[in-house]
Parts: sequence; structure tokens; C-alpha cells
Amino acid sequence: MQNFNYLEPGSLWEAVGILEGLEGKAFPLAGGTDLVRTFKRIGFREHGVINLKKIPELSGVKFDGQVMSIGALSTVSELLANSEVDEHFPVLAQAARALGTPQIRNLATIGGNLCTSSPASDLAPALLAYQAKIIITGPNGEREVAVNEFFKGPGQNVLDRGEILTRIDLNLPVPGTIGAFLKHGVRKSHEIALVNTAVLIIPVRGSDKIAVARIALGAVGPTPFRAWQAEEQLAGAEGGLPQFEEAAKIAQELASPIDDVRASADYRKHMAGVLVKRALFQAWGGKV
Amino acid sequence: MKREIVLKVNGESYQVYVSPEKMLLDVIREDLQLTGTKKGCEAGECGACTVLMDGRPVNSCMVLAFDAVGREIVTIEGVGGLEGLHPIQEALVEHGAVQCGYCTPGIVMTAKALLDSDPNPTEEEVRKALAGNLCRCTGYVKIVEAVMDVSKQISESPELREKLSQSQEFGAKTVGR
Repeated sequence: MQNFNYLEPGSLWEAVGILEGLEGKAFPLAGGTDLVRTFKRIGFREHGVINLKKIPELSGVKFDGQVMSIGALSTVSELLANSEVDEHFPVLAQAARALGTPQIRNLATIGGNLCTSSPASDLAPALLAYQAKIIITGPNGEREVAVNEFFKGPGQNVLDRGEILTRIDLNLPVPGTIGAFLKHGVRKSHEIALVNTAVLIIPVRGSDKIAVARIALGAVGPTPFRAWQAEEQLAGAEGGLPQFEEAAKIAQELASPIDDVRASADYRKHMAGVLVKRALFQAWGGKV
Repeated sequence: MKREIVLKVNGESYQVYVSPEKMLLDVIREDLQLTGTKKGCEAGECGACTVLMDGRPVNSCMVLAFDAVGREIVTIEGVGGLEGLHPIQEALVEHGAVQCGYCTPGIVMTAKALLDSDPNPTEEEVRKALAGNLCRCTGYVKIVEAVMDVSKQISESPELREKLSQSQEFGAKTVGR
């Protein structure tokens, strides 16, 4: 029986090489808050981790006035402490605030959160709404994937053997963009979402009309997803509760949640609609 | 395969010989014999094992000891000093915010990290900061009152503020065996 293997590559290429060579026996370690739990469940023996923390290019948040580049190893707390995230991507900041506990946020990373690919990720809906680009490095070099194409199922994503998610790029939203993130659970904190949603609205200047709306939902399908049809319903429409209710109804129909110990599928589906309506209304400046 | 690593805990460097699957929590409790840090859920839920890593509270049950190399770890043994309890500990006692006491070391560490970074939090901020520390006895009210009381003491007493900023180093250097 093989021992648990702990490796600490100092460069991205070394990590990619090791990862490719170890045939799914060793997993990249970021914050560890999901991976360590998994190992505790399945056993450490015969597995290993490739700790990515010694790889310099995976850390840090950079903003050049147009694009925010978030290193995959940026912790959720680092996102929250970054005033530019709060100022330019407030919906991401709201989502980060809703994730886990302070202790978890100090460990958990944005890259790890995406690679775990939980349908109930809190960061994913916000990143979907901001149309994030995922930058991946692997044996064949670097590639870029739109975040809405990244997830493939619960715990599954587009990463191939030897590939590492290195950073997330966000384009600065159009001036005047408004948005909201809402999470519904049994408790106010320390909760896995029963449903969560991130919405962004770009209003037509000087009018009550909506130019573009983006609506992303989590925990109510095999992956977090964009409610495209609901977005289309709002494009060009007047902003207001009746329109938001209509869009929320469409979004609700796109939800395909599961029944589990935490909530029934019916309840989650219903709440998906309620949450989308509330988020749109709140983003628009209304009180819920 | 066991390897030798050096962990910096409460200002002291410890050489330990551990397996790579060993958690920071287990090294702290078993190898360093610092049993003030408690083992609760072992799944990053309850906060009983909270220690500070580079000044921030983390669940030590979720951190591989190997991954803590090079980080500054502070456990409950590194809080306060030889001269007595930390004001947070005193306040918890005075407010009756300790019943079985199992969650208390974790609560102290989280509250310390909060007050070190923001000595004047609102009650809401205290509650949010403590959201990762479960207590099954007190109902939290007295814990929150105790932390708010320390915050009030700090704002009213420049000497206490001074003492706390010193005791961070003092406590770390003199306690922790």
C-alpha cells in the first residue's frame, strides 16, 4: 500500500508535469477546505496532493482599470479585503461574504471553489453574471474558457488531465451597471445555499428601460447556470416588479433542483423564482 | 513517509517529525502537546480547533501540517501572558459566557483576530466574525456581550490598547510550552 504523497512544486510547469504523470492519484491542493474533507472521507492512502501555494503566478489580484485578474489561489478573504473588488465587482464581494465561515474564507480560494464545481458554489453565480474568463494551463499550453462553459456537472468541469486553473479574468462592467447577490438557506451564515442567485442589470441611460440583464442561479441544477431566456425577456423591457416577476417565472422553470435532506426539489424551485425576483428588484433599487 | 518540518507556533520554532497526511490540529495537540486547541467536528464546521495563521482564524483540522510550514501560528496557549488572562478571556468569564468551555479556546482566537484588526466592531460584526464558532451551551448572547465589552474597554483605555499591542508579542514569546 502506497503512502500519502505530498508534493510542493515551485513552478506551474513542474506542477502540470507532476499532475499529468500521476494519473489522477494526486490532486492539486489550494485552500484544502473541500479536498481535505474528501480525503478524510475516502482515506489519504494511495492518494496525494500537489500543493500549489509555492507557485508565484497563482497568487494576487491585479486590476488595470479594465480587467481584473484574480489569481486562482486568492482566498475568499483576500477578495473581501480588496477595495477594488468591492468597488467594481460588488456582486462578487456580496457572494464572497456569503461563503462559509470566517475560518473557511481565510483558507478557501476562488480557484478551488470553481474546481470543486459544487452546484451550490456561492462564487459561481457572481462569476457567471460578470461573464468571467477562466484561464487554464496544461500540457498543451494555456487556454481560456468562458465560465458558463466551465462546469459540466456536480463536481465536474472541463479541466483535462494535467490542467490547472491559474486565474480568473473579469472585464469591468459598463458604467451604471447595477446588481445583487442573494442566497437562501435555513441559517443566515455558515450555510450551503438551497438556492443562490446573482443578477446584473445594465439600464438604458436616462430611462427606466433595461438594456441588458444577466441572471445566474446556483444550487438548483447540476451546475450553476445562466437563465438566458429570463434575461432575454428583460432585454429592452421597462424595469419594474411586474417585469421582474415575469422573468423570475421563466428562470424558475429553468431550475431543475434535487430533493435531498436539506430541502425538497419543489421548495428549491419555488425559491429560485422568489430569489430572482427579489434580486432583480433589489438591484433596481427597490426594497424587498 | 514521515518528514521533518519546522512549525512556528506562538513565536517558537518547533521541529517535528510527521506524516504528510497529519493535520495541523493533530500536530499541535499530539506532537507539541498544546492541548488547549480542541478537536470538534474535524470537518471545518464547528470552529473548536480555531488557531490564528498569519493573524487570521482558520480551522486547524482543515490544514495539513506540511501546508503550515512558514506560517505564523498562534494557539490559545499563545494568548494572554504569564501575567494573567487576556482581556477577552476575562470578559468571557465575567459575563458567564463559558459553560462547558469546549468552544471557548476557538472563540477566544476568533475574537482576538477580530479585535486585533478592528477594535471597535458593531454587534452585527461580532456576530458575523463568530459565525464559524459553534457553541451549544450559551446561546451566544453572553459571548457577544463579552466581546463587545472588551471592545468598549479598549476604546475607553489607551493603556489597555497599548498593553494588548505589546502582549501579542509578549504572550507569544513567553507562553506556548
